[in-house]
Amino acid sequence: MRNLLRVLAFDILAPAAAVVALVYIGMALAWPLWWVSVCSVLALLIVEGVVVNIVLARRDSVTVGTDDDGPGLRLAVVAVATAALAAGVIIGYVKWTVPDRTLNNDASEVVGIASSVSEASATFTPQSPTASVDRVTAMMSPKSAEAFKREFADVAKDLTSRSISAQATTVSAGVEAIGPDAASVAVIMRATQNAPGKPTDTAVLALRVQLSKSDGHWVVDDVSPIHSR
Amino acid sequence: MPDEPTEGQDHDGPVFTGFGIGSAVLGVLAVAAVVLGVMIWTEHRSDVDELHYRARVMQAAADWTSVLINMNKDTVEADLNKLHEGTVGQLNADFDVTVEPYRALVQKLQAKTTGQVDSVAVESIHHAPPGPNGAPPPQQQPELLGAASRTDTLMVVATSISQNAGTDKPQTVRWNLRLDVADVDGKLLISRLEPIR
Repeated sequence: MRNLLRVLAFDILAPAAAVVALVYIGMALAWPLWWVSVCSVLALLIVEGVVVNIVLARRDSVTVGTDDDGPGLRLAVVAVATAALAAGVIIGYVKWTVPDRTLNNDASEVVGIASSVSEASATFTPQSPTASVDRVTAMMSPKSAEAFKREFADVAKDLTSRSISAQATTVSAGVEAIGPDAASVAVIMRATQNAPGKPTDTAVLALRVQLSKSDGHWVVDDVSPIHSR
Repeated sequence: MPDEPTEGQDHDGPVFTGFGIGSAVLGVLAVAAVVLGVMIWTEHRSDVDELHYRARVMQAAADWTSVLINMNKDTVEADLNKLHEGTVGQLNADFDVTVEPYRALVQKLQAKTTGQVDSVAVESIHHAPPGPNGAPPPQQQPELLGAASRTDTLMVVATSISQNAGTDKPQTVRWNLRLDVADVDGKLLISRLEPIR
């Protein structure tokens, strides 16, 4: 019984675990060419070791697992298998868990940014014409901020002269597409415009906000209407 | 995996050898690594499946909407049948009432309409306008809870252009829709259609 357990653990499970760990690492790395070759070589070495073990077991009736005179080799076998498994866990965590979590966090972050940028871009008060522009440009990349300011300057002048004020509230917002360093978010807003002496004008606006990640921060590159016409 | 073995060695002598203790510790580590590895893999799989599912849901919503916005007076009946087949729950039951405005629009325009879906997104922020009595309108459909394994809300933005036979200039319709897509036995069906006005 004791020998059976030792054979199972050291002669069968340990090499099998090492090979599984190698394949696991390959999956986590998405099988780059260098790992395909490293993995084949290492797996071949393990298979060779197992074959030698079997051949010697037939000759001497003792295996690595059951040899009472070879505890050091046994420790080495377990150490190698454990090292391979530990490496698999670390690589799996770095290649799968971390990016997955980052993507999920990024998704909720970009929607929040997009929603506030869209609301600010459709908000205007004649008393402080630059307030909402400043709020928008604070979330933009410097290049886009300049373009946005230029575009908005004329609109702001026009709105101020007619003393129109505008507000917008987000109805719905969601991610259209997201990657590690770029995202596109759709925002549907209800916008209202108030001009003195005129009834309130309400409209539903659909905006696409494009963001990119630079230095770990999401910045807005572009805000544009979604409707093609 | 190679864990139990170590106990085997230690039965041998009166004392635990350093090698035996070392193997036991490494064996426990190896088992822990296997458990962690399986957890990491399962979590990753479910994340990947979630992304694939979202892509399918977005595709389903886009397909359904593109039928809705491309209705012409000649095809309106066939299109409505097709749309009806793609629905479930409340929307399926009240289909005729819900699509009446669209049917009326198509028939009134008597025009050739071509529409294009501009954007589809899985909604993650929603501020519902308060209902008449101040409370937000109900979002859940109790009768769907049993049938659908999950329901996602999508936002679809589309534009359609109606070209009148006459001399009128083309009329543009801008669509801002919220769709609920339910997964009923693996089939993705639309369970709610709410135009944002």
